[in-house]
Amino acid sequence: MDPQPEPVSYICGDCGMENTLKPGDVIQCRECGYRILYKKRTRRIIQYEAR
Amino acid sequence: MEHASFGDQRNATFALAEEDHTLANALRFTLNQDPRVIFCGYSIPHPSEARVNVRVQTTGDPAREVLKDTCQDLMLTCQHIRGTFDNAVKDFRMKNPPDDLTSQDMDSD
Amino acid sequence: MSDFDSEAMADAGVENPKLPPHLELRRTRVLCKADAPTSTDTVQYSGAYASLGVDNSLRFDDFRNNFRVQVNRISHEDMEFDMVGVDPSIANALRRILLAELPTMAIEKVLIANNTSVVQDEVLAHRLGLIPIKVDPRLFDYLSENDTSNEKNTIVFKLHVRCAERGQRLTATSNELTWLPKGSELLKTSESLTSTSKPETYTSFTCSQDSMPEFAGNPISVYPDIIIAKLGFGQEIELEAHAVKGVGKTHAKWSPVATCWYRMLPEVVLTEEIEGKKAELLKQKCPANVFEIEDLADGRKRATVARPRACTLCRECIRDGDDWEKRVSLRRVKDHFIFTIESTGALPPEVLFTEAVKILEDKCERVISDLS
Repeated sequence: MDPQPEPVSYICGDCGMENTLKPGDVIQCRECGYRILYKKRTRRIIQYEAR
Repeated sequence: MEHASFGDQRNATFALAEEDHTLANALRFTLNQDPRVIFCGYSIPHPSEARVNVRVQTTGDPAREVLKDTCQDLMLTCQHIRGTFDNAVKDFRMKNPPDDLTSQDMDSD
Repeated sequence: MSDFDSEAMADAGVENPKLPPHLELRRTRVLCKADAPTSTDTVQYSGAYASLGVDNSLRFDDFRNNFRVQVNRISHEDMEFDMVGVDPSIANALRRILLAELPTMAIEKVLIANNTSVVQDEVLAHRLGLIPIKVDPRLFDYLSENDTSNEKNTIVFKLHVRCAERGQRLTATSNELTWLPKGSELLKTSESLTSTSKPETYTSFTCSQDSMPEFAGNPISVYPDIIIAKLGFGQEIELEAHAVKGVGKTHAKWSPVATCWYRMLPEVVLTEEIEGKKAELLKQKCPANVFEIEDLADGRKRATVARPRACTLCRECIRDGDDWEKRVSLRRVKDHFIFTIESTGALPPEVLFTEAVKILEDKCERVISDLS
């Protein structure tokens, strides 16, 4: 595992606000308090065939 | 690509790779119009294989030469079609000058 | 044209006796009867009428004298023309080439960096593939299996859209695809990267495409206003699309035509005079409005065929009983094609057609060189 866990970005399921969470943080949106967060998509490039 | 029996050049089957009905049917028509041809036809042995077999049987000339002449004929036909078409387009443009110049400009953008 | 025609007629008259009219009709026309069409095939064999002393072979000079093309309509995206004096096998070959063998450029590879929209990546990629690209494919090479993407075989587009306004919807259209003449801007990830080399992108352009004379001041664009995706607040699409050259038989996205078709010229003949009530009835029966009523000098009314081209051969006019079939003869002229080409915008339709003819010529040439 990584030595220092990086903060991971999550998107609020209610207001769309972006939240960064570290291990141990409360899973809650900082903007609206909503408790369902979605993990942000990676920026790793994925290649598709346009067919 | 040519399959003819020895000593009999009049009858042969030609296997054309990477071709389909597009060329084969046009060739069949052009071959049939040649008075030297007794029989001609084509088949596609398998649909997932890009190949046609063209059968040519002639009155005496080597099938290979007849097929070559036919291709030449079809080529001349195409050239004539192209020339006539280009003239017809030119004619049309002369008689109907484009009044929608804006759309013409958009096209060349 | 008309001089040519009469000359050809005279020539044929000297050399070749004419077929009897009933055979000539079957040779040149499809007869559409109430139950089914008859004499639908073309008589190809040169000796088909040998027993009558008629030569059915086609002399190239005859073809040249009889063949004609008349353009009915041209715009920058579609055209219609009449092609007369050619066998269906050749007309069909040209149609097939237009649909499946004329190359164009189309998006083939989509590199998605980010897509938080509701449109899935693979659906998005497929939608992008179908967008017509307005560029002359003759300026590009095919990208073969072990080639690298360079400025001669690849066009790169970027799409970066984000809906930033709360409560809003953003519609991403094909207008948002921006051309990257310098090639890909996305960097390949570190694993293949050695520390000294400069960062590698997904293409290796040696020069910028907009420095090429063909594209200087003439940027490559795509067909405008095609909806790609709709984004809700916070959603974002960031991707790069690589277009390559291909043909329609590989995938329909490379087909240069929206569609391309021909129909044979309809011919409507009244075999007897149709007058009065019957003429009225005939006019009414036709949904395509082919017939017209003519007032004769003595006050009688007679049916005439005013717009035979409009006939769709629905056969409504010969439906009610045998006697109608005897009065009206519906035919199609076997060697007269009304050809329509709808271009998707890469090339104007008249150029598409000449290119298609050239491809057929190339095919013949290839066979000749294979046989030599």
